[in-house]
Amino acid sequence: MTVKKLVSEDSKSVVIAIEGRFDFSLHQKFRESYSSDNISGSRFCLELSKATYMDSSALGMILLLKDHAEKLSGEVVVKNPSESVKKILEIAQIHKLMTIEG
Amino acid sequence: MFNFHIITTIAGVVLALLIGVNTLFIQLPAISVVATLLIIVIFFLLFREHQQKFNATVEAGSKNELIDAELVQTTFTQMSLLISKQVVIVETELERVTSLVRDAVGGISESFKYLQNLTADQQTMISTIISNNKNIGDDSNTTLESFVHDSSKTLEDFVGVIITTSKQSLESMGYTDEMVKQLDGIFNLLSQVENIASQTNLLALNAAIEAARAGDAGRGFSVVANEVRSLSVNSTELNNDIRNEISLAQSIIDNLRKSVELMASADMTSTLEAKDKVTVMVEHVGNVNKETNNVVEGLAALAPQIIDTVATGVRSLQFEDLTCQALASLKDNLVAIESLSEQLTLFDKNKGNCAEQLLIIQENCQALIEQTTHADQTRGVSQSSMEEGEVDLF
Repeated sequence: MTVKKLVSEDSKSVVIAIEGRFDFSLHQKFRESYSSDNISGSRFCLELSKATYMDSSALGMILLLKDHAEKLSGEVVVKNPSESVKKILEIAQIHKLMTIEG
Repeated sequence: MFNFHIITTIAGVVLALLIGVNTLFIQLPAISVVATLLIIVIFFLLFREHQQKFNATVEAGSKNELIDAELVQTTFTQMSLLISKQVVIVETELERVTSLVRDAVGGISESFKYLQNLTADQQTMISTIISNNKNIGDDSNTTLESFVHDSSKTLEDFVGVIITTSKQSLESMGYTDEMVKQLDGIFNLLSQVENIASQTNLLALNAAIEAARAGDAGRGFSVVANEVRSLSVNSTELNNDIRNEISLAQSIIDNLRKSVELMASADMTSTLEAKDKVTVMVEHVGNVNKETNNVVEGLAALAPQIIDTVATGVRSLQFEDLTCQALASLKDNLVAIESLSEQLTLFDKNKGNCAEQLLIIQENCQALIEQTTHADQTRGVSQSSMEEGEVDLF
């Protein structure tokens, strides 16, 4: 249950990696991982390859991240979700709102 | 008739001769054999002579009254009786066949009617199935298909609501976190205020000491110093009260956090299962619909075939008409046979010239033959095949 953050040199690309359960307990760390990035046109990559579980609060967090990115005219890309996580993303129609890779 | 009579007489004589000769020469087989042969030869010669004579008699029959008129009349009467009897039997049988055919055709016709009713019922049932398939019976024309589709849509909306709620909750959680930070700031400020209060307290204490040292002159100042001190104590108490209140607010915020967490965190597993079930249901309904459509199409294709088959059956029922016509024409033939019988009874031995009477009978027979031939040509049954023409039963 951790949130890791990696920012590229030009600060335009932010990778947020989730490990373990992606649920309400992460909301503060998750918000902190992007709230300070205010560079226009930022690209936020949500790396989910190590996320084992996801509940509705995770989906809410992803939508908040999207709102933040849209304010900066940037984008959000979800990367490498596991099968079960991918199913939840599809049920929530997340794939219609942003790109899901892998 | 006549030659048979003579032949039997001759045969009797020959037999008697044979027996007599054989008894005579019973001891002499050779003579017996020769005698038998001799008698047979004589008989053969006699028979041949008689045959020739008889033929001559028949040829001359119209001219010579060689025929026994009474015998002819008796024979003719017998024949007439026989014919009449046969005619009666044939007539009865004809009636029977006609009635059998009518009964059978009536039965078949009834069963065709019944078959048609059954087909109509079947058609109604199929229509019911189709309409049931299209409408589950409420006012908004809900079909099973649209229901499943709506369910799927409802589930999507439900998921949407859950996620929106989570998002809003998390957003308010952010505001709450900011508020907690603000409260921390207030705590900081409170510490500063507390510092000021303790410094004021210390200052008031110093002032009181200085006032005591001044003696009577400082008595008034001592009162002021005590008042300032009690103000600092009051201020510290107030400070503590504020701190307690804010701590209470913080614990309330903790409760709020838990409550928001509950609101924001919905497990999606059951939703996933529901979604899977709906997907399966959509597929199932699709299959059922397809199956039903196939069956209904098949049934629809059967309907004209049934109608065709019934039409063929109905057309085949013409055989009743054809058969009855044939039977009716047989009655004409019976009438002809009856008049033949009558002709035979016309012969009367007392009427005189037998040959003349026979000739008249012959002429009448000829007339009957012509009549029958004519009737046969213009026979009512002009239709010889059931495939021709159309007959509607209903």
